[in-house]
Amino acid sequence: MEKVKVEDLCFAYDPNTPVIQSVSFTVEAGSYTTIIGHNGSGKSTIAKLMIGLLAAQSGKIWMDGLPLNEANIYEIRNRVGIVFQNPDNQFIGASVADDIAFGLENHQVQSDRMQAIIEDYAQRVGMQDFLNSEPTKLSGGQKQRVAIAGVLAMQPQMIIFDEATSMLDPQGKAEINDLIQEIHAQGDLTVISITHDIEEVAKSDHVIVLDQGRVVLDGHPDEILQHEAELIRLKLDIPFALKFRHELEKNGVSIHAGTTMEGMVAELCRLRSKS
Amino acid sequence: MPITFEKLSHEYHPDTPFAYLALDGIDLSIAEGKMTAIIGSTGSGKSTLVQHLNALLLPSGGSVTVLDRTITAGDKPKQLKELRKRVGLVFQFPEYQLFEETVAQDIAFGPKNFGMSEEEALAKAREMLAFVGLEESHLERSPFELSGGQKRRVAIAGILAMDPDVLVLDEPAAGLDPQGAKEMMSLFVKLNREYHKTVLIVTHDMEHVLRYCDDVVVVDHGHIVQTADTATFFRDTELLHQLRINPPAVIRLREALCANGFVLSDQLLEMEELAAAVAQAVKHHE
Repeated sequence: MEKVKVEDLCFAYDPNTPVIQSVSFTVEAGSYTTIIGHNGSGKSTIAKLMIGLLAAQSGKIWMDGLPLNEANIYEIRNRVGIVFQNPDNQFIGASVADDIAFGLENHQVQSDRMQAIIEDYAQRVGMQDFLNSEPTKLSGGQKQRVAIAGVLAMQPQMIIFDEATSMLDPQGKAEINDLIQEIHAQGDLTVISITHDIEEVAKSDHVIVLDQGRVVLDGHPDEILQHEAELIRLKLDIPFALKFRHELEKNGVSIHAGTTMEGMVAELCRLRSKS
Repeated sequence: MPITFEKLSHEYHPDTPFAYLALDGIDLSIAEGKMTAIIGSTGSGKSTLVQHLNALLLPSGGSVTVLDRTITAGDKPKQLKELRKRVGLVFQFPEYQLFEETVAQDIAFGPKNFGMSEEEALAKAREMLAFVGLEESHLERSPFELSGGQKRRVAIAGILAMDPDVLVLDEPAAGLDPQGAKEMMSLFVKLNREYHKTVLIVTHDMEHVLRYCDDVVVVDHGHIVQTADTATFFRDTELLHQLRINPPAVIRLREALCANGFVLSDQLLEMEELAAAVAQAVKHHE
């Protein structure tokens, strides 16, 4: 089932420099979809268009078959959450509890129910012991957890992560990546992750590659990541497992593992024990 | 002449309830002319450490010697201008510090401040813009119209325009796309190898450390816990795990294979070498 359908979308901040040019794609409900492209390829603009923060010049967006327009925008925003790159720019509350409460208050959740909801979602992201902490006392990774809790508390059907880990240190990155995977595995939430992490792409269900505001590749990562020359031309990385596979070929070993490190290890172990 | 720290301590907000000892008795020598990675988790003290290199922070205890200048705790150092010219410090997300109307003016700001004429400074700006890989047509543009990666190049060009001997970069590749990050790192390698600048890079990216840096300094809770050349550092996988450092992909793959019965030397740090060894192990079994 289609969660999102984008058709022939065009957008420009300034009419002479188009940022998004005739972009079309669909995202399946419940999928983990990644969007990649070099800086300036239009990834974040698409995210903003999808939640109606920007209005397209032309083209259409549907969510669950509902067209994104002025009449439906609030309904659609109820269904979609977004987590941005910079943890500092999205922490609005004076404390963790406050920050999680912000969206709920906007949705007029009754105050007697609020506390239980806040505690529940803080728990889900492992921040239950920090409810009264101020943002200055938190690491970047912890602030992103709070942002995610705030989004989850709105019970969206889809979450867009716009480079949500790119400003975090490796530990913070790993924490948030694991949390996103966990949230996705738990339910039927659709995840769209805008990322530079090619290993995350390799593990996803679907990848959309953007270049200069156009979709240049779109499909399953096992297939898309085979277009190595194209990925390099687009200034993107290729997964380590693929690079390693080529080195093995130079040494006379050809294997048919996927694009993840885990797949590579499994296949090499199988080859080794075959004899 | 190496950069040396002797029993250097730094305490923030001394004599207040917020007092915090960020560096505690640091003894460290950083070789001249090399590319050294400073690593450690967030809050380990690595940014505090590098800010002593051009006296942006002064030691609370001990001393630091950089380019024949020694700064000792308790001194009120004067004439820091020369030191600040010779030690270029590039903070995280330096693009947020651009402020002039044109790219040319922004790059020329530093050199003018250090006494260069307007004309010389603008000539320098043109030269440095090319060096960081941007076209001359950018000179008269507003820095705010540029992309994030371009802005960062402009900010770095501004530091390079002062022709520092020591270049200190705090997370220079953070937030760039993979290609942008690679180009950025290549730029520092060029400054180091061809222009013989001493380069210090504060980074979390172990792939960059393995590929580009000669030496590694590990800061943890305000102490130096390791200084080693890069190859030695990455051979100690136990320390890497202890420090919760995610090793480069080559090492992760090697460890995963070893955990599954492969016998592979811990000397293997290059993908090409590891592939050759793995290929042999697999064929040997056939």
